[in-house]
Amino acid sequence: MTRTRSPKSPSPRRSGTLRSWLGWTAKLALVGLVVLAGFAVYLDAVVQEKFSGKRWTLPAKVYARPLELFSGLKLSKQDFLTELDALGYRREAVAGPGSVAVSGNTVDLHTRGFRFYEGDEPARRIRVRFSGDYVAGLSGADGKDLPVVRMEPLLIGGLYPAHNEDRILVQRNELPPYLVETLVAVEDREFFSHFGVSPKSIVRALWVNAAAGGVVQGGSTLTQQLVKNFYLSNERSLVRKATEAMMAVLLELHYDKDEILEAYLNEVFLGQDGNRAVHGFGLASQYFFGQPLAELQPHQVALLVGMVKGPTYYNPRRNPERAMTRRNLVIDLMAEQSVIDAAQAAAAKQKPLGVTARGSLANSSHPAFLDLVKRQLREDYQEADLTEEGLRIFTSLDPILQNKAEAALHDTFKRIGKGGDPVEASMVVSNPETGEVLALLGSRQPRFAGFNRALDAVRPIGSLIKPAIYLTALEKPSQYTLTSWVADVPFSVKGQDGQLWRPQNYDHQAHGDIYLYQGLANSYNLSTAKLGLELGVPNVLKTLARLGVEREWPAYPSMLLGAGALTPMEVSSMYLTIASGGFNTPLRGIRSVLAAEGEPLKRYPFQIQQRFDPGAIYLLQNAMQRVMREGTGRSVYSRLPRSLSLAGKTGTTNDSRDSWFAGFSQDLLAVVWLGRDDNGKTPLTGATGALRVWTDFMVKADPLPLDMPVPENVTQAWVDARSGLGSEPGCPDAVQMPYIRGSEPPPGPPCGLPQAPAENVQDVIENVQDVMDWVRDWSN
Amino acid sequence: MNRWLFGAVAASVLLSGCATVEHGSIPVVDASGSVYDQQQGRGSGTTSRPPVATPSQAPAPVEDAGVVVMVPGGGASAAPIQSYPASGVAGSVAPIVSQPITATTPDGNAGYSVPRAPSGAPGGSPAVSGNLAADEQLDGPVLALLTTAQREQGSGNLDSAASSLERAQRIAPREPQVLYRLAEVRLAQGDAAQAEQLARRALTYAGGRPALQASLWNLIAQARERQGDAAGAAQARDRARVNL
Repeated sequence: MTRTRSPKSPSPRRSGTLRSWLGWTAKLALVGLVVLAGFAVYLDAVVQEKFSGKRWTLPAKVYARPLELFSGLKLSKQDFLTELDALGYRREAVAGPGSVAVSGNTVDLHTRGFRFYEGDEPARRIRVRFSGDYVAGLSGADGKDLPVVRMEPLLIGGLYPAHNEDRILVQRNELPPYLVETLVAVEDREFFSHFGVSPKSIVRALWVNAAAGGVVQGGSTLTQQLVKNFYLSNERSLVRKATEAMMAVLLELHYDKDEILEAYLNEVFLGQDGNRAVHGFGLASQYFFGQPLAELQPHQVALLVGMVKGPTYYNPRRNPERAMTRRNLVIDLMAEQSVIDAAQAAAAKQKPLGVTARGSLANSSHPAFLDLVKRQLREDYQEADLTEEGLRIFTSLDPILQNKAEAALHDTFKRIGKGGDPVEASMVVSNPETGEVLALLGSRQPRFAGFNRALDAVRPIGSLIKPAIYLTALEKPSQYTLTSWVADVPFSVKGQDGQLWRPQNYDHQAHGDIYLYQGLANSYNLSTAKLGLELGVPNVLKTLARLGVEREWPAYPSMLLGAGALTPMEVSSMYLTIASGGFNTPLRGIRSVLAAEGEPLKRYPFQIQQRFDPGAIYLLQNAMQRVMREGTGRSVYSRLPRSLSLAGKTGTTNDSRDSWFAGFSQDLLAVVWLGRDDNGKTPLTGATGALRVWTDFMVKADPLPLDMPVPENVTQAWVDARSGLGSEPGCPDAVQMPYIRGSEPPPGPPCGLPQAPAENVQDVIENVQDVMDWVRDWSN
Repeated sequence: MNRWLFGAVAASVLLSGCATVEHGSIPVVDASGSVYDQQQGRGSGTTSRPPVATPSQAPAPVEDAGVVVMVPGGGASAAPIQSYPASGVAGSVAPIVSQPITATTPDGNAGYSVPRAPSGAPGGSPAVSGNLAADEQLDGPVLALLTTAQREQGSGNLDSAASSLERAQRIAPREPQVLYRLAEVRLAQGDAAQAEQLARRALTYAGGRPALQASLWNLIAQARERQGDAAGAAQARDRARVNL
């Protein structure tokens, strides 16, 4: 560019022209130099500006709950191994993080360690001993018992902008053996000696390629490749090539080889996952092998390095044969360059590709739950923070339960057969004692990120509302107990305009005088609606609000039979208050958020508010347990042991348009909804549709028995099963029922003797007064 | 993405439109009125009176005569109450997890000592457990996590302490000592309302443990004082004395 010819023996004649010509050339050259220098200064600024600042925007990473191991934990060995598989543990002799060996009931593994909200959980070698479906022992490498070990959490997804690059940043000290050597051997042998560009390596590349009979090596250096990907467009032109070379040199001037190499390893494009571009070896390792980069073995390193040349062409999932050929070529090169020895190379070439079936952190593995997480995060963070700042989001998703929920749905629909074809579904699983969402299904197709029915399908809840009516009643122990007599008979209520509301039972029968709890257990509409009207629809709606339902409904009688519509998530919130002893707990999917560097940002703490007397809730739970034992939910005990004492409620709306079931054990609350998106009729009732999914899930999940502590204001009294009057333990037909202390029925006649129902009303009133005093004390 | 969102919104609007019963079609005069208006309800935790019957709602209205305890006329169609093993007897499937945590020992250890200073040696040595709880011996993961939380609290890191205690709570949700500690930390963090709520929850699991109950009532008293409820605090103190 700066070609200046030195004049030789200029003749004076022509010297004028020549001098002016030379002058112009010199001036032009000078201008060119200045321009070039200016360009170089500009490029230098570009190179430094982007390289010294934040080099990449990072989507937020979302993690499942970490598994907490301890002796006594309810966890089957199979479930544990499933989790380890998902975490990418290698089944081999335990050597280093990410390896696991199974021997009978003993599982030895080396955890990877992880940074959590309160600090680091170290990587360590542990032994987990199983007995039945429990962890029977947990010890460390020295054989001593460990109280608790927290596994690293499964990465379940990220929060991405529409079109995006994704990466997991790795540092120089997190690389597996041989990666750098192999990369240099394949892509740029002079990397550690050149100054950014290497004429020598271009020549060598030509030579190697000719010898190998194909393009094995590219001519440009790693630095040039980095510059190309990092700063420049994909255009192919000489100007761009020159700019690339200049920037490569400038980059080498400012930064050392390690820094450039680290940037390269994080920048390089290695695959496409839908609209997400997989960048860098860190993410590629997770995406293709489900393992952290540091744990890769030579054959895996060879595959990834080989893919640099053509990530799509050599995609091991799409084109396994090509990828295998390329990998083995790289392995040969590794041996040739003495990166590994011949024996290692031979062994590596015997290995299969070893890629996971699909991207283990594919954007869409748990779309419904991620949707929930996103919505909760958007209340606290800007969109850009979520997609660019590399936040680490710790959630409560339990991948084991999520899989079981998906399997329960799938299996049940298979059994329902063709009738279930147009029927959609959603399911919310939570822990009633913590308020955490453990699993979420927004669709029959769990991988389908579409309409999230768990959060957005607002459907009439039918009989699911009934517990709110009975709770309203049971909060007035002076008037209602579980064994109060109520009439299940037809009636009608007249509205202002003369229209009549005539509820009907599902079986179109009236059941006469029944005990209060039987109306709930059998989901009788007549007695329940009557009871609700007596209590007052506005009061029932107030109870609903206290249970956590935040919708405003008009106080029409039809509300008493569930005309009001809720989402499955809202139903979960309502039943959570019942399941947790009357404490309202906001449903949470997120536990905490860490910044990219690991510093704690925000916690979403456990928060509760007592909304109901524990005694009233205890009685309601008792009635809901009877739903399962003798009422509309009794089919569960054909598949589950009665000792689980499950509590729940079925819900069906007109013409079976919605099939609901909400129920809980001690540790699991699950709400299932089935119905059609077009709100059409289905062949399913709450008991034949949703309850079957629920039951199947509980069979798989193996819940803890529901065993609520008896509140202080509750007493167990013996009553005659037929008359509901007080009785004695030894009498025939005597059964025990719980009552708010003082509201238990007065003693009946001695065993077997008939007695007039003239009872001592004064006694009852006094008893009730005692209860009220007690309650007043308690409330303070 | 936007199309999906739009589709979802449109579908949900459509669905809710179709799904909701026409409210107007059943106008009805509601006879019961709003005599017993429970003030407590949803929303902010500032007025955190428990939502149980207050005296104003106690008197029985006369209008609902049909449902008071009475013998059924004729009793022809009534099904008898079915009986089951008492609810406390959950069969023989005692979950292992509950054994180390909720095994109740005879009470009578009056001086429930509230641990304040961080104990020196973490790691679950017997000395630490002795310091932790006089009311009952904890062991295993819960003890380890309470010890961790105590260390974090001692070094002023209340947020980490709360986080560790929530770990313990997930492992042993019904262990009142965990809730008690969490309530303490919340109080130290300045959230007196939550401190009171957590202590109340702990009380529901602290049956038969009077010393612990007394500590919980004392904590509630402190929390009420912080919320400016002197009368409530005094009542809680009385409860604490009764329980001792």
